[in-house]
Amino acid sequence: MNSTRNKLVWVALLCLGLIGKAEAQNYVGKSLKMTIFSSTPVEDIKAASTSASAVLVADKQELAVQLPVKSLEFDKKLMQQHFNENYIESDKYPMAKFKGTITPQLDWSKDGEYPVTVKGVLNVHGIDQNRTIAGKITIKGNTISISSSFEVACKDHQIKIPRLVFAKIAEVIKVTLQGTLEPLK
Amino acid sequence: MKKSKFFIYLFLVLALLAMRASAQTAEALLSQLDSTKKFNKVEATFKATHVVLSHSTETQKKHDLDLRIRHHFGDIGGEFGSAHTLYGLDVATDLFIGLDYGLTDNLTVGFGRSKHDELFNLYVKQKLLQQTTDGSMPINLTFLAQAGLVARKPFTDTEFANYGNRLSYLIQPIFSRKFSQRISLEVMPAFLIRSVSADPNDPKNLFTLGFAGRVKLTKRLSFVADYTLVNGLSRPNKLAVPLYNPLGIGLEIETGGHIFSLNFMNSEYINENSFIANTKKSWTDGGVRFGFTISRNFSLFKSKNPDTKSTIY
Repeated sequence: MNSTRNKLVWVALLCLGLIGKAEAQNYVGKSLKMTIFSSTPVEDIKAASTSASAVLVADKQELAVQLPVKSLEFDKKLMQQHFNENYIESDKYPMAKFKGTITPQLDWSKDGEYPVTVKGVLNVHGIDQNRTIAGKITIKGNTISISSSFEVACKDHQIKIPRLVFAKIAEVIKVTLQGTLEPLK
Repeated sequence: MKKSKFFIYLFLVLALLAMRASAQTAEALLSQLDSTKKFNKVEATFKATHVVLSHSTETQKKHDLDLRIRHHFGDIGGEFGSAHTLYGLDVATDLFIGLDYGLTDNLTVGFGRSKHDELFNLYVKQKLLQQTTDGSMPINLTFLAQAGLVARKPFTDTEFANYGNRLSYLIQPIFSRKFSQRISLEVMPAFLIRSVSADPNDPKNLFTLGFAGRVKLTKRLSFVADYTLVNGLSRPNKLAVPLYNPLGIGLEIETGGHIFSLNFMNSEYINENSFIANTKKSWTDGGVRFGFTISRNFSLFKSKNPDTKSTIY
């Protein structure tokens, strides 16, 4: 009787230990920098945000990044309003998200710079697209830095560009992401 | 026996907790970091700082300068209309040129000049409340204060004997709500302070109540309308020359930087200090007229931040 009880307590304590372990392997970043860049022969348009957030579940190699679309700041505030209202429709789709699995398998305790690809789903303007996005992960002690540069085609996410401004807005928008993640306490 | 049961339960609860913790996915964690709440302001309740005749709750963006050119033609029908004046197009009852500048995103100053009475107007417009997407603030509130100065020569020797008689003031809180992507509505009580009124029975100071609305037909085309209730509030019913409540309807076309409005209204005049009290034409007897607004926005003081620097080649 007594020994069964003891065994159960040990297993339960082990489970508790697992909780601690699982949480120690999650990393979060709350103020990653994201920029978008549209380039045509007529006009270059840039916007930036420092309010992107990211989560890394290390033991599953899972990375998720999200951007509140309204946090993107344009030089021209009226252009920012048009971007939100007419193109990205941020009242309807307030977030742009990417969630994927990192390859190759990394040893998260080992410092270094690793080129990686993340295979997953990119959601912009409410439309999911399967994407494999290349980037770089830098591990330094407890801090993990991620950076990437990729392209998003307006057409893939059903963002319509009217013929009137066709010359000013690129069909493919260049996106960059850069920031650090810390262990979740 | 009882004790072992308790430990089995304890084990199950702890095991469950452990499973839950390890099942925590990136997505679940990410939802805890949702920062959209910080960016929950409802933008663009109206496209422009004006609806048809009246102000909207919108203010200019910081460092944006809006050049507005407005035109009211003559009566389409009635005594002064018809083919003899090409349905009013031969006549300009009022013209207006004005500049609106955003000192901050919430504070706009405006200056303009009208043909009618050679009226110069100066206004300040402060956005006080802005609607939020989470419903914590259900409305927009913008406060408008405007002074008008009649610069024309007096019609009689005594008309402007006192220089102060040239002045008028409008005080107007504007309430609006964007009900959906398509529909925005607005209510604006106002107090107009005049130095003189043409009819001695017409009080110098008028309390009015305005209503305005927008229905977006496409992303860039909207139907807009506004109506100001003047008669039946602080104004007596019988005046020597009948005066009417101003009603304007229009189509608003936005092309990114430009806004064109094609309007129909019964008021001859463009500025609030003129049209609120002095609309002598009625929609019912051919007194309706065509009018248009051209608005062009200029962004002054571009930022030096390389991340947001845009270039036009």
